[in-house]
Amino acid sequence: MLTFEHLTKTRGSRTILTDITFKARPGRVTGFLGPNGAGKSSTLRILLGLDRPTSGQALVDGQRFASLRDPLRSIGALLDGSGAHRSRTGRAHLRWVARSAGVDNTRVEEVLELVGIADAGNKRVATYSLGMGRRLGLAAALLAEPAALVLDEPINGLDPEGIRWIRTFLREQAQAGRTVLLSSHLMGELAETVDDVVIIRDGRIVADGTLAEVTSDHKNLEDAFFALTADRGQR
Amino acid sequence: MRALRAELSKLATLPFVWLAFAAGLIVPTGIAVITSLTGTPGPDTGFSELAVGVLGAIILGVAAIGSEYTTEGEESAGSRQITTTLTAIPSRTQLLLAKTAAVIVATALLAVVAIAAVFGTIHLLLGTDAPALDGQALARMGGAATYWVLMALLGLGLTVLTRNGIIPMAILVANSSAVTVTYLLAQSFPAASYLPDLAGMRMFTTVRTSVEIAPLTGGLIMAAWVTVLLLAAGTVFTRRDA
Repeated sequence: MLTFEHLTKTRGSRTILTDITFKARPGRVTGFLGPNGAGKSSTLRILLGLDRPTSGQALVDGQRFASLRDPLRSIGALLDGSGAHRSRTGRAHLRWVARSAGVDNTRVEEVLELVGIADAGNKRVATYSLGMGRRLGLAAALLAEPAALVLDEPINGLDPEGIRWIRTFLREQAQAGRTVLLSSHLMGELAETVDDVVIIRDGRIVADGTLAEVTSDHKNLEDAFFALTADRGQR
Repeated sequence: MRALRAELSKLATLPFVWLAFAAGLIVPTGIAVITSLTGTPGPDTGFSELAVGVLGAIILGVAAIGSEYTTEGEESAGSRQITTTLTAIPSRTQLLLAKTAAVIVATALLAVVAIAAVFGTIHLLLGTDAPALDGQALARMGGAATYWVLMALLGLGLTVLTRNGIIPMAILVANSSAVTVTYLLAQSFPAASYLPDLAGMRMFTTVRTSVEIAPLTGGLIMAAWVTVLLLAAGTVFTRRDA
């Protein structure tokens, strides 16, 4: 269970997040949706201890991420890009991540196969396409078979085949009891994948519930999203 | 221990670190070849080569942190590794300690190999004219290795603060090879003799400025600088957003 409790974040005089409160539950795929710049990445970065909230807290099974003893077994995270240095090979990147979690190299080969970049394992990350970079980042997230997956814009840069693959994959992960939290600004791609929906706009949560609840009397998730996030002054 | 193994694995697979090893071996050994063939051996034979070869250690220390923050355009697969590092090892104190330890291990290894290469070369080329490898020479070699490790940590600490390797690398490498700003400064201002590189050099060279500093004292002064810098770097690193 991932819990966000009254998160507020200011940078200088700018308020980035205001009173962000929601949960991502085990066995469910939670879609964290909002336009670009709404505060999705900032919220996820606070959960992972990368940034500090001004107030409030984000917890992993009741604990702060930074205090977890085996962080990679609790959360597998995919943030921007691949999270890998350009001049290292994909395999070398996964191997150092594996070292940090006490995972052996056979698992590295498994995840390379799983995400479909085994052939490129010995190539430098600089030669990867954007989609391959995302797959490498996902491979790193899966290394220690974490209880929760936190993915920031996972379908960005993926080709249609990759998008189809990741949808199926995430559904399977949730069915296996894992918590899946993914952010996206693309609604149509996700409606079939998510169980719960949290919508953020200008750093505030504007909707939080099951897919059916949030869609409610709108035609579909996309319509609901635009109705909730449109600039009220303009429309 | 896992964090240290991860950091050592990172260093071993980073091409920039191989460059640091190449520079740390080829530069001083190359200079040793030239000086052995052209000059007459003096008290600093071998050691002044190591004073320049320290640039390999500096590159290593800077690259260890700088590589975490390397960025590229949106369209490239490479991206800031620090996010992966901090999700794997969220305790920043533990991470910085592991990185420091990994850099110490790698630099000490580089220094030992470089010292062997430099003095091996000198003995090969000068034969009996080569300075004797007595107890004092061995103590100075230990001093040179310590100097390399401390310079690498100086580069590491500065790069934590700048989050970019270029500035610390330019300052430290230029100062140790091309234009020795600190040395020139010490000609006019005696206090500059207490700057980390000039103080640390007393451990293995006969460098002289207007202030006399014993080798051990020099080493301690440099170590104090490095400790203060690493504490400052640690404070900043644990508090700021990644």
